Amino acid sequence: MYGETGNKLVQHAKRTQALAHLPPYQTEMVRAVTREVRDLDKDVATILEPFAGSFDPSSEPATACALLVNHLCMRRNKRCLLAYHRTRTDKLEEMCWGGIDVLERQGQQQQGNKTTGGEATGGMGQDGNSSSLSPEEEEYVRQYSDLLAAYKGQWTDIDLTGSLEPPKDLFIDVRVLKDAGEIQTEYGAITLTKNSQFYVRQGDVERLIAQGYLQRLS
Amino acid sequence: MDIDDLLAEVTADAVPQQQRDLQELTRAWIAERVAPELLPYPAELMERVLERIRRQIELVEDQTGNLDPKANFKLIIIQTELERFKFLVRSFLRARIKKIDTHPLHLLALHQNPPSSTSILNPLLSPSELQYLNTHQSLLSTHYSSSFLSQFPNSLQRLDDTAGGISMVDKPDEETAVFVRCLRDVGEVWVEGTDNRFQMKRGDVWVVRWSAVRGWVGEGSCELI
Repeated sequence: MYGETGNKLVQHAKRTQALAHLPPYQTEMVRAVTREVRDLDKDVATILEPFAGSFDPSSEPATACALLVNHLCMRRNKRCLLAYHRTRTDKLEEMCWGGIDVLERQGQQQQGNKTTGGEATGGMGQDGNSSSLSPEEEEYVRQYSDLLAAYKGQWTDIDLTGSLEPPKDLFIDVRVLKDAGEIQTEYGAITLTKNSQFYVRQGDVERLIAQGYLQRLS
Repeated sequence: MDIDDLLAEVTADAVPQQQRDLQELTRAWIAERVAPELLPYPAELMERVLERIRRQIELVEDQTGNLDPKANFKLIIIQTELERFKFLVRSFLRARIKKIDTHPLHLLALHQNPPSSTSILNPLLSPSELQYLNTHQSLLSTHYSSSFLSQFPNSLQRLDDTAGGISMVDKPDEETAVFVRCLRDVGEVWVEGTDNRFQMKRGDVWVVRWSAVRGWVGEGSCELI
């Protein structure tokens, strides 16, 4: 009661900031905090009921104090919830900017969990729904990607999601880590087969580096 | 006005527009990355730069078929330059988006009711940035309300509440220190809330509170570094 769960949620959010991936959505905790807020609101209503709208704080300091604590706790809980959700959405947005397909990765993770879960007969104690995003968050990611694509579309020449490192060389050495098939460049087509090495224009392969197909050699 | 100022004016006119644009873009880019708050969008400058980038890309595409080694070499130089320009613009826009994401409601209020000191010529946000901000904000609030806010008591559902003495709308810290270089004699600068007064002369570098030099930077008398 009085903000304890909210505090846990914020600590969770703080941990999330340092992680590379997104930990599972704390549905239970979010619900508990929301419930707490509703309970507090009910408390306030019950306390105020006998006064019938003519409450004078100076004549009843004890009641006024209780009301104040309740109000502050509600606000605090709201802040905690907002902070928790904002941290997660920030993380998701970062992934969108980084060109990571969050939903696809979630799907893979889910499938991976299912297969391992099948072998270990659910020994991990995971329930069937093991996606670390809440349904609302999945929806959010989908819409944010659309928004990002729309904004990016106005700057086609610039490629907004490109590298934020200042470019030094036009051409770079890359090694192929995974077969990526054939790509078209201004100097003809290159077939990227695993373990081969190329000297190519940076702009042509930036995407592939970000996706992990190629490795840049310095 | 002394001879230095006169010389400076003459040389400024002699520099071709392209080079001045590059200088302006670099300056805007540095300023945007250093300043704690969002700066007005340089619409005209961006238009010119983007137009030039587009032309260069066309030129590169036209010339790729050319196998003459001399032309090829020239092309590589153009492409390198092009990549650098693209980087500047990209980094500039991303810096702005980052600030827009951090203080959306504050910026929206500022954009709609700009303080009288800013010129009407350059609004704070470009139309596409404004659109991005609005859409993003509505996405966020839908997300919040579907996640938990809709179950809250009505009085607590707002996202821009100022009750209880604390405003929910975050503002950038305008009192952080920035490094500035004076491009012209500014005269006496007074830091609000303190007794610090000092003379800023052309070529000086100072570490000052942003709120104290904001006006000079906007006007072009100082540049952020």
